[in-house]
Amino acid sequence: MKNRLRVLRAEREWSQADLAERLEVSRQSVNAIETGKYDPSLPLAFKLARVFETTIEAIFSDEK
Amino acid sequence: MGCKTNNPAVWRFTRRFIVLSLLYAVFSVLSTYGLLRWHSTGIVIWLLAVLPAIPIAMAVLLTGRYMREEKDDFQSAVLVQSLLGGIGATLVVTTVWGFLENYAHFRRLDILMLWPLYLVFVGISYGIVKARYR
Repeated sequence: MKNRLRVLRAEREWSQADLAERLEVSRQSVNAIETGKYDPSLPLAFKLARVFETTIEAIFSDEK
Repeated sequence: MGCKTNNPAVWRFTRRFIVLSLLYAVFSVLSTYGLLRWHSTGIVIWLLAVLPAIPIAMAVLLTGRYMREEKDDFQSAVLVQSLLGGIGATLVVTTVWGFLENYAHFRRLDILMLWPLYLVFVGISYGIVKARYR
């Protein structure tokens, strides 16, 4: 699953660690999601959407 | 699991797992000594044999508890994959070794080695899984 996490993070000048702290997960989790190696659970996807004040669809797309 | 972490669930799990591992070692020595030296009979033999299995059962329950306490689902997924790798490797290695024992006169693998062997394989598997996500 593709995502725009890196772009959204860059717009806010957040490091992976900053985002991890906001999501209450490890930095490795953010890295795994960002690089597309791990798809987050639905609750975490909603949390990401809340943190970036957008929708899940605006962050993730189901194209390979 | 993991050397450097601020994750409280991981710390609790690691601390409890170390305690259970120590208990396993102590109970194993106690049971071995009891079964060899005390010339136990009847139910005492069973009690001594069951003793080292208690920390193992508790370690399995502890893993389940960690999965419930862990808020970071990526970390849970890493642990599940590591445990699966550990179970798989233990089953494969012991099956191969069993055939070698039975038909190729290989040295007998003590069944008591299963738990330590499983832990070693989970550790190796954990390293591989973490490396995959790097």
